[in-house]
Amino acid sequence: MIDPPLSSLGAKVVVVTSGDEEHPPENIIDGDSRTFWMSTGMFPQEFIICFAESTKVSAVTVDSYNVKHLKIEKNTSRYASQFESVTEKEFEHTDGHLQSNSISLNGSSATHLRFIITSGYDHFVSVHRVSVPQLPS
Amino acid sequence: MVKLRARCLLLGDAAVGKTALSHMFHNDGTLFQKNYSMTAGVELLMKCVNIPETSDSVELYLIDSAGKQTLVEACEKMWGELSMLCLVFDLTSEQSFVNCSYWMERVRAHCQGLHIPGILVGNKSDLTARREVQASVAQEWAQSRGMEYHETSAKEKENCDALLLSLAQTFHSLYQERRSAIQNLSPG
Repeated sequence: MIDPPLSSLGAKVVVVTSGDEEHPPENIIDGDSRTFWMSTGMFPQEFIICFAESTKVSAVTVDSYNVKHLKIEKNTSRYASQFESVTEKEFEHTDGHLQSNSISLNGSSATHLRFIITSGYDHFVSVHRVSVPQLPS
Repeated sequence: MVKLRARCLLLGDAAVGKTALSHMFHNDGTLFQKNYSMTAGVELLMKCVNIPETSDSVELYLIDSAGKQTLVEACEKMWGELSMLCLVFDLTSEQSFVNCSYWMERVRAHCQGLHIPGILVGNKSDLTARREVQASVAQEWAQSRGMEYHETSAKEKENCDALLLSLAQTFHSLYQERRSAIQNLSPG
């Protein structure tokens, strides 16, 4: 089953620490791994995804390039503040193709997910897709 | 439009003029510090440079690190994760040029395999009578390491702008190169 793009479920990227107009943060949640958001230098880098409503998240899949270490935080507030740490992961380096990592988030509810890239395998990293597998309702 | 950010280390022997240069960058050449006060630690300066004929810019976070041998180890802890290197020597001191190889090695070890683009700068070009390093020699050294070479005089405010621009352009080209590589990636 293919997960619907997060943007079609009303999710938005509300915070991002780098900006290239040609590669906007919306590319992270459009469900298409050919489009991407790119960091523009130095670490850490982060982005925050806001769901339309409180959502049960069992896992996220992150398609990226040159990301080395990723931390994920969440909250259940209406505002993008007061995050609690959920998990962190070291990604394997890939050459010539995207990294694809599934990260378990133990099924808790969240309104915001915060992704903090603390280091990379190169000066710049890109994030192509973040998707959340839909739980059977 | 893109705004890039680069952490750029100014490195080289003591008294070659790293601090004088970084102050020139910071105040657009309005003030040359005449008295010498050795940098004992690390100073951070931020300078934003526009890339000509584009709407892109590069924010350079310049780290002016002490060149005195006994202080290097302590300073290295504050270099952090570097994006670029600006290696400076004194055109009137052959030894400061020879030591550039040592500084390069030091940075390479610090960065653990990550390629750091950089430029080489021969400073104090106003002291023509005391020159010990020929431009062609320095140029060749830089070229063999994929670096651009510039000569400046922080005192006469010569070429300081060109230097900043060269740093910014080097990082900007690296970004463009990486971006097109990512565009051509195959899906995971």
